[in-house]
Amino acid sequence: MNKIVRFSIVLAGIAVSAVFTLSCEKDLPTRADYSAYAYASLDANGGSWKPVLLTSPDQITVPAPADVNSTAYQDELAVLRLAATNRTAEEVAAIAYWTNNPTLRWNEIALELVAKYNLIPGPNEDGSYTLPNPADPGATPNFPFAHPPYAVRALAYLSVAQFDGLIAAWHYKFTHNRPAPYAVDNSIPAAYTDNQLPSYPADGAVVAAASRDILSAMFPLEKDYLAEKAAEHMASLTWAGVNVQSDIDAGAFIGEEVAKIALNRAKTDGMSKAQCPKTVSDSIKTAAFDRFGWKWDNVESPPRPVGLTPLFGQVTMWNVPTVEEVRPPVPPTPGSPEYLENEQELKHFADNMTSEWRRIANFWQDGLGTYTPPGHWNRIAKEYIIKYKLNPLRTARAFAYLNMAMMDGGISCWDAKYYYHYPRPINLIPGFKTIAGTPNFPSYTSGHSVFSAAGAEVLSYIFPEEGLIFRNWALEAAISRVYGGIHWRFDAEVGTAQGIQVANYSINVAKNDGSE
Amino acid sequence: MKHNILPVCILALLPLFAPRVKAQTPSDAIMMEPRQFCGVLLYDHGSFDQYWEGAKLRKNGTIETVSRNSGLAMFAYGVVGQLNLIAGLPYVETHSTEPNGGKFNGANGLQDLSIALKYRFLNKQLGKGKLALISTLGFSMPVSNYLSDYRPYSLGFGAPELSLRGIIQYELDNGLYARTALAHLWRGQTEAERDYYYNNGSYYTPWMDVPNAWNYHAALGKWFFKYTLRVEAGFSGVHSVSGDDIRFYNAPQPTNKTVENLVGASAQYYFNKPKGLGVLGYFNRVIQGRNVGQTTGFGFGLTYVFKI
Repeated sequence: MNKIVRFSIVLAGIAVSAVFTLSCEKDLPTRADYSAYAYASLDANGGSWKPVLLTSPDQITVPAPADVNSTAYQDELAVLRLAATNRTAEEVAAIAYWTNNPTLRWNEIALELVAKYNLIPGPNEDGSYTLPNPADPGATPNFPFAHPPYAVRALAYLSVAQFDGLIAAWHYKFTHNRPAPYAVDNSIPAAYTDNQLPSYPADGAVVAAASRDILSAMFPLEKDYLAEKAAEHMASLTWAGVNVQSDIDAGAFIGEEVAKIALNRAKTDGMSKAQCPKTVSDSIKTAAFDRFGWKWDNVESPPRPVGLTPLFGQVTMWNVPTVEEVRPPVPPTPGSPEYLENEQELKHFADNMTSEWRRIANFWQDGLGTYTPPGHWNRIAKEYIIKYKLNPLRTARAFAYLNMAMMDGGISCWDAKYYYHYPRPINLIPGFKTIAGTPNFPSYTSGHSVFSAAGAEVLSYIFPEEGLIFRNWALEAAISRVYGGIHWRFDAEVGTAQGIQVANYSINVAKNDGSE
Repeated sequence: MKHNILPVCILALLPLFAPRVKAQTPSDAIMMEPRQFCGVLLYDHGSFDQYWEGAKLRKNGTIETVSRNSGLAMFAYGVVGQLNLIAGLPYVETHSTEPNGGKFNGANGLQDLSIALKYRFLNKQLGKGKLALISTLGFSMPVSNYLSDYRPYSLGFGAPELSLRGIIQYELDNGLYARTALAHLWRGQTEAERDYYYNNGSYYTPWMDVPNAWNYHAALGKWFFKYTLRVEAGFSGVHSVSGDDIRFYNAPQPTNKTVENLVGASAQYYFNKPKGLGVLGYFNRVIQGRNVGQTTGFGFGLTYVFKI
């Protein structure tokens, strides 16, 4: 029995050492690693910038704040003093999480919801497909299917509402110049860097309320989760000593009002008709075939009867007057020399796949279950916003123009996709296999290329020193689809040019919005 | 004692019990004598046309039937006394059958190198049979840059694994035996080629945590014909201790919580002539699982034992 004892001791010893060996695994980051910072600029004239949807910043009116010497204000300060002396661990964590640029967090929350809902409906037992139903979002499949057009649109409305709301907030902040609580009462410790930003109305509350309301409309099943997030965010403003309740109330009011205005536009922008019925989809396909002599078909098993959002190309654009004026030229006819050259190249990539091509294909894939290509560019924007320490207003502006340009790019791309209805490589090359999933819509032009080029152009405008990096990434994202075997090179190259062209409309608006 | 009459080599049990995941450290009770060397060449095949998405068994026309073929080279060596050294390396190939809707390329390449130490603590006559207590300590790691984040075609989970296993076997003098084994598998992180993924929330990193797992195993077997034929049937399971489920109609990923319970049977025969040569074959089937394919598999191979 002595041996059995030894057996057990050795087993236990090895187990302990094994646990030690593997317990030094890296902690995996679940969000951007940044904390409150000193803004690179304050933009005291931000209230005079041109909003996107508001006719003027005082279209939403909030009352003048009570004087800092008033009883009402002093009572509000007392609440903050108490909060500061009794911060719980949760409150400290919330203060650290939200920071003094919470727009970044709300963007991050939006990306997470996109990834959560970016699940394509699967077939039913009988081979039919059921579409998500906005009137019954909890039914299977859940609403929404947050595919790239859906995602970029959600991000655009989110960012535009945040931007317009913050322009209004800046307008009132520098009209009333109410100092921050910690500046009025030095017994209130400021949790964040003192940026000399007037506190009424609370910019954090504008962003919290607007984000909550836009995202609740876009992701209705997340209403409770978003309400909880917004409540914590607004409460953290008092815990952090940066806003009193009347600052927060006024900010939340602006956020709610601006969200209503944005959602009104969303209701009538044509998105609800984008996923058209089969009859319409078939007539679009027939029209393309009559015009060009080719058509794209879904070859999944069982085949999907309608491609993804055939009428997304008719959704109202932000900064481009008509989608026709940015429609790219006709792609090469299958069988033509230019086409054959493209086909040869795809076969070459597939037959000689290198680890570098594979890495690029996977890095930019941003496929089902992820935050999509527009989400990827929002993530990139976030990293540079932190690097350049933009203030909340400039942050919202960067996201607003980025996402408007990418949504316009997506609309233009989808117009081309269904106007030309060009087949995918797996449709035309017999026996062709891919390392990326072929999406459920026509090939020409490449959505990744358009989204990425548009995103890179706007980011290059916002961060000119980084332009080369952004544009190279956009080119890499574009060619990644060719490496993946799901796009022709001309889809990528024309898509890149299209993205740049479309983005310039937004950049021209941005250049004249009074912020330069 | 009787085993020494013939050279015996049964590491080939490894693919029988956790076949589609990777070559595992052995869960059998056979030991090599000092300076005895055993080489194994094995072919393994598995395929499935249904898989568990979470707890729900489903079909998927986009991948249709996924097949996996492996060639495995292994050896075991009696180092000294009751200690064996075992190593193995599989080459794996995966693909979907035609026609399928996804038209995905399969994958192929060398998978993970496994190295294990096997130590017999006890081998003692107890009543009408012999009781053996054995432990294995194993380590494996990928030896090629295969992409683990390419399920269901990926060759493996792409992370280092440390395993510790305890094995108890009782064998009657008439050759009938029962064996059970329990192992814990510590699995590290695997590197994807994207730096964002969703695992019940956002992850901003290419590193994915492959869940640790328990592996259990039970078998009944018997020797026939003067210890030249061994027939065995068993049950085995691998259970992740954490992880997420495959999402609706979505691809699996290395972070998934996998459960794989399978039954199998094997037979091995050792020739008198040429001395040292053996053949084996097996069949197995996943009977219940979570986030894995409902795989049916078989394999066959050659073993050869000689003294250095």
